[in-house]
Amino acid sequence: MMLDVQNLVHRFPGGVNAVNDVSFSIAAGETLGLVGESGSGKSTIGLLVTRLLAPTGGTILFEGEDITRLPPAALRKLRARLQIVFQDPWGSLNPRMTIGRLLEEPLALHTTLDSAARIAEARRLADRVRLPAASLSRYPHELSGGQLQRVSIARAIANRPKLVVLDEPTSSLDLSVRAGILQLLDELQRETGIAMLFISHDLETVRLVSHRVIVLYLGRIVEQAPAATLFDNPAHPYTQVLLSAHLPPDPAMRLRRHEVTGEIPSPINLPPGCFFAGRCPVALPACTAAPPPAIALEAGHSAACLRIADGTNIIDPVEERA
Amino acid sequence: MRLLEVEDLHVEFAARGLDNRVRVARALNGVSFTVDAGEVVGLVGETGAGKSLTALAAMGLLRAPARIPQGSIRFEGQDILAMSDRELEKIRGRRMAMVVQSPLTSLDPLKRIGDQLVRMQRVHGTARGAEARARAEAMLAAVRIPDPARRMQAWPHELSGGMAQRVLIAMALVNEPALVIADEPTTGLDVTVQAQVLDTLRDLVRARNLGALVITHDLGVVAHYCQRVAVMFAGRIVEDGPVAEVFARPAHPYTQALIASTPGRIAQLGYTVTGGTPPDLYDLPSGCLYRDRCPRATTACLAPPPRIALDATHGAACHYAWEAA
Amino acid sequence: MSATTLDRVVGTARRSPTFAVGFGIILVFALLAAFADILAPMPPTLSHPYETLKPPGSGPFLLGTDGNGMDVLSRVIHGARYAFGIALPAGAIMAVVGIPLGLIAGWRGGWVDEVLLRVLDVLRAFPTIILALAIVAATGQGFLNVILVVGFLDSPIFARIVRAEVLALRNATFVRAAVAAGNPEWRVLLVHILPNAILGATAQLPLRMAWAVRISATLAFIGIGVQAPAPEWGAMIRQGAEYVISGEWWVALFPGLALIAMVLGLNLAGDGLSDLLDPKRRATGK
Ligand SMILES: Nc1ncnc2c1ncn2[C@@H]1O[C@H](COP(=O)(O)OP(=O)(O)OP(=O)(O)O)[C@@H](O)[C@H]1O
Ligand SMILES: Nc1ncnc2c1ncn2[C@@H]1O[C@H](COP(=O)(O)OP(=O)(O)O)[C@@H](O)[C@H]1O
Ligand code: SF4
Ligand code: SF4
Ligand SMILES: [Mg+2]
Ligand SMILES: [Mg+2]
Repeated sequence: MMLDVQNLVHRFPGGVNAVNDVSFSIAAGETLGLVGESGSGKSTIGLLVTRLLAPTGGTILFEGEDITRLPPAALRKLRARLQIVFQDPWGSLNPRMTIGRLLEEPLALHTTLDSAARIAEARRLADRVRLPAASLSRYPHELSGGQLQRVSIARAIANRPKLVVLDEPTSSLDLSVRAGILQLLDELQRETGIAMLFISHDLETVRLVSHRVIVLYLGRIVEQAPAATLFDNPAHPYTQVLLSAHLPPDPAMRLRRHEVTGEIPSPINLPPGCFFAGRCPVALPACTAAPPPAIALEAGHSAACLRIADGTNIIDPVEERA
Repeated sequence: MRLLEVEDLHVEFAARGLDNRVRVARALNGVSFTVDAGEVVGLVGETGAGKSLTALAAMGLLRAPARIPQGSIRFEGQDILAMSDRELEKIRGRRMAMVVQSPLTSLDPLKRIGDQLVRMQRVHGTARGAEARARAEAMLAAVRIPDPARRMQAWPHELSGGMAQRVLIAMALVNEPALVIADEPTTGLDVTVQAQVLDTLRDLVRARNLGALVITHDLGVVAHYCQRVAVMFAGRIVEDGPVAEVFARPAHPYTQALIASTPGRIAQLGYTVTGGTPPDLYDLPSGCLYRDRCPRATTACLAPPPRIALDATHGAACHYAWEAA
Repeated sequence: MSATTLDRVVGTARRSPTFAVGFGIILVFALLAAFADILAPMPPTLSHPYETLKPPGSGPFLLGTDGNGMDVLSRVIHGARYAFGIALPAGAIMAVVGIPLGLIAGWRGGWVDEVLLRVLDVLRAFPTIILALAIVAATGQGFLNVILVVGFLDSPIFARIVRAEVLALRNATFVRAAVAAGNPEWRVLLVHILPNAILGATAQLPLRMAWAVRISATLAFIGIGVQAPAPEWGAMIRQGAEYVISGEWWVALFPGLALIAMVLGLNLAGDGLSDLLDPKRRATGK
C-alpha cells in the first residue's frame, strides 16, 4: 500500500470534530476520490495525510513508514515523495516569485542539481504541463487560473512523488479549463503511476477520475466502493440523497430526488449514533444509539448503515415534478 | 409577455496602463436576449464572459468607468438606459430585483432578517407595519425557511449559507417584482442545498408568473431549471435557444466544447477539447472572437459572424451554424 | 513593453500624483543636503558679528541673518543634512529592528509577541515625545543619541505593521504550499513571507521618517538633542523664537517652513507609495 490510514481522528482547537475515526488506503497507481459536502472534513484529511497538520489520533503509514509523528527534518525530506495541490490557484503561488523560480524551488529543496540544470528541468516541467515557455518569466498575477493550476501541479510533480493529494484542483476553474487539467492529471498518472487522493465535492468529476470513492459525512466515512458501483448502486441513504441532488448537465436525464429535511448536526456537538439519523428518511430507533459499523456488501464495497443488514437501505426516489 | 429585452448591448472600460496609455477593455460586444413572464432563462459562460456586467446593466447599475457606447435595454417597455437614478430606484427592488452571490455579505449584519424584509417593503411603499410583517413572514415560508415566525427574529450570522441565500430570494421577491435576476445564486452551496434553493426559485416563478434570468456557469443548473439558455463568450451571446434543443443540437463550436467538457461526455468520448484562454478584452481580434480556439475556423471567420437563426427559437453566432445543427 | 523611462515616470506620476509631489519635495531637499557646500552662499556657522539680525535681502543675506550674524539661507540649506542625518539612520534602525521583530512575533507568537504587544501598549499610553525627551535627557544630548532613541522608539510600531501582515499571511495558501514543498522554516519566513509582508512597512517608512525629523526638531527646540549653533532646523527655530516678539521673524520662519515642507514631502511620499506598491494595481500594463 502506498498510503494506509488507520483510525484517523482530528479535533481542532475549539472542539470542532473534523475527522472522526477514518480508515482507508490507497494503492500505487490508484486514484481514490474523496467526496462530501462542505465541512465534511475532506481538506482536513488532505492536510493530515500530507502531514501539514498533526492528527489528534490514529496512524498514517506512507510506503510502509509511520509518518504520524515525524521530526521536522524527516518531514521535509518526505515532502519530495508526498505532495499536495490546493483548490485556489490564485492564492497557491507566492505573488512575488516568477513562475520559473516557483518551478525551480522544489528542485532546489530536494535535489543537488546546479542552477543551470534546475532551469533546464523547470523548462521541461513547464512543457510537460503545457505552459508556454514565456510564462517562466511571468509573475502569478499575469497568468490565468488554469495556467496557475498547471504551475501548482508542475511544482507538485517536480520530484516525482509517489502520492499527490489534489484538494479540489478544478473547483474554481471554468468547465473547458477544468477538462484540460483533468486530462493532464490523467496523462501524468498513466505515465508515472503516481497515486492520487482526489478531493472534490463535484460528483461527476470524482466519478470520471477515481478508481475508488469514499463518501464522507461530518468527518466519518459513510460508504466506500469502486467508482462505478458507488455511483450506480449507492447503498448508504446519505450517498443516495447526495447523488440524487446532483444535477447532471443533460436535460434529457430525469432527476430522481430524495427529499431530506432537518439540519446537519454541529461538528462541535455530534450525536452519539449515526450522524445522518436526524435527516435520514429511513432512520430506525436503534440508529441514534451507537455509530453503525461499516458493513461489507461485496468486495471493496462497504457502507455504515444499520439497514444494510436486512436490505432495507434503499430509499424510494421522488420522481421529478414536471 | 415580454419583460426584458436587451439588444446589441456594448459595455467598455477605459483604464490607464503603466505606460500611461489609455486602453479600452471591450467587455460586452453585442449582447441580445429577452426574458418573458413565466420563464427562467439561463445565462451561461466562463469567468469574465460578461455575465455579471449584463445583469448590472439590465438593473441600471452600471457606473463609471463603465460606458455603454451602443445598445438598448428595455424593461416592461421602458428604456432603462434613458432613466434617471431616481426613476431607476423606483423600479429596482420593486418591479425588478436581483439576487447576488455571497448571501452573507449581502445581508445587513446588524438587522434582524424580519426587519430587513419589512424595510424593503417600506422603502418602496408596498406595505408597512403589521401588514409588512405578515407579508415578510409569508415570504419566508414561501422560500421554505422552517419556522418562519421565529426566523423573523434571527440575525444574518445565525443562518447557514443555503438559508441566507433563500432569505435573499425572499428579499428580492417580497415586493412581488415582475423580473428576478439571480447572479450565480447557488455557487458555493452544497448540492443538496443548491437543489432546495433552485426549487424555491422555480416554484415562485411558476406560482407568480415571474420572469427570471439565472446566471450560472453550471450546465446542470441550466439543464434542469431553465427553459431557455443564452451562451456567452467574450461579451457576446454566441448561442441561444430552448434548453433541450441547445443541449441536443449545439450549433456553436463553443457550446459544443462546453458540453464536451462535462465529465459525463469525457467519460464517453475521452478528452476532446483543449481549453484555452479567453481573448484579451483590451485587444480583441477582428471577426469571430472564438477564432483562436475554434477547431472549425476558416478565413471566413475573419469577418464577424451574424446570429444565424436555425429555427424560430434557436440561433448561433457562427458562420457555420447550419452545418452543425 | 515599449515605454521609455520618461513614459514610466510620467505614468507613475499620473497613477499617484501624491507620491510624485512628495518625492519631488524630498528630492529637492536631498539635492540641498548633498550639495550644501556648493549651494549655500557661505558656511552655516560663519558669524558676521557686525551684521546680526539683518532682515531678508540685506546685502548678501537673502534670508537675513540670525542673532549671531550667521546667514539664515545657508543654515536652512545645511539643515537638510541634519534632517536626512536623522531620517535615514533612524529609518534604518526602525526597519532593521522592527521588521525581524514583527516577523518573529507574527509567525511564532509566544513571548516575543507578548512583549511586543506590551511595549506597544506602553508607547500608546505615553506621548512618545515625552519618552524621547526623558531618555535623551537621561542618556546625554548627542546627535547619535537622538538617532538611536528615535529609531528604537519607533521600531515597535514598525514591528506591529509587519506582525499584522505576517498574521494574515501565515494562513495564506501559498505559505502552506511553501511548507508542503519542503521549505525549512527559515526559508518560509525569509523567502515567502518577508517579501510579501514588508509592503505595508515600506509605505510606512517615509511616514515614520517624517516623525523622526519632527521629533528631532522638537527635541532641539526644547533645548535637548542637537545644540546651537549647529544648523539644525529645530535648534534654529528655538533660537529664532526669541526674536519673533521683537519683530525679527525671519530667523524662525525659514527653518520652520523647511521643516514643514520636508515632513509634508515624506508624508505625501508615504501615502502615495502604498498605492504604487500594490502589485495587483501594476497588472494593468502588459
Ligand atoms: N483551522 C481550523 N480551526 C477550526 N476548525 C476548522 C479548521 N479548519 C477546518 N475546521 C472545521 O473542520 C471541519 C472540516 O473542515 P474541512 O475544511 O476539512 O472541510 P471540507 O470537507 O474540506 O469542506 P469544503 O468542501 O468546504 O472545502 C469543518 O467543520 C470546519 O469548520
Ligand atoms: N470595473 C471594471 N474595470 C475593468 N474591467 C472590468 C470591470 N468590471 C468588469 N470588468 C471586466 O469585464 C469582463 C466581464 O466581467 P463580468 O461581467 O464580471 O464577468 P462574469 O461573466 O464572470 O460575471 C471581465 O473581463 C472583467 O474583468
Ligand atoms: S444507520 Fe439509520 S439513520 Fe443512519 S443512514 Fe442507516 S438507516 Fe439512516
Ligand atoms: S465563426 Fe468561425 S471561428 Fe467563429 S465559431 Fe464559427 S467557425 Fe468558429
Ligand atoms: Mg475543503
Ligand atoms: Mg460574475
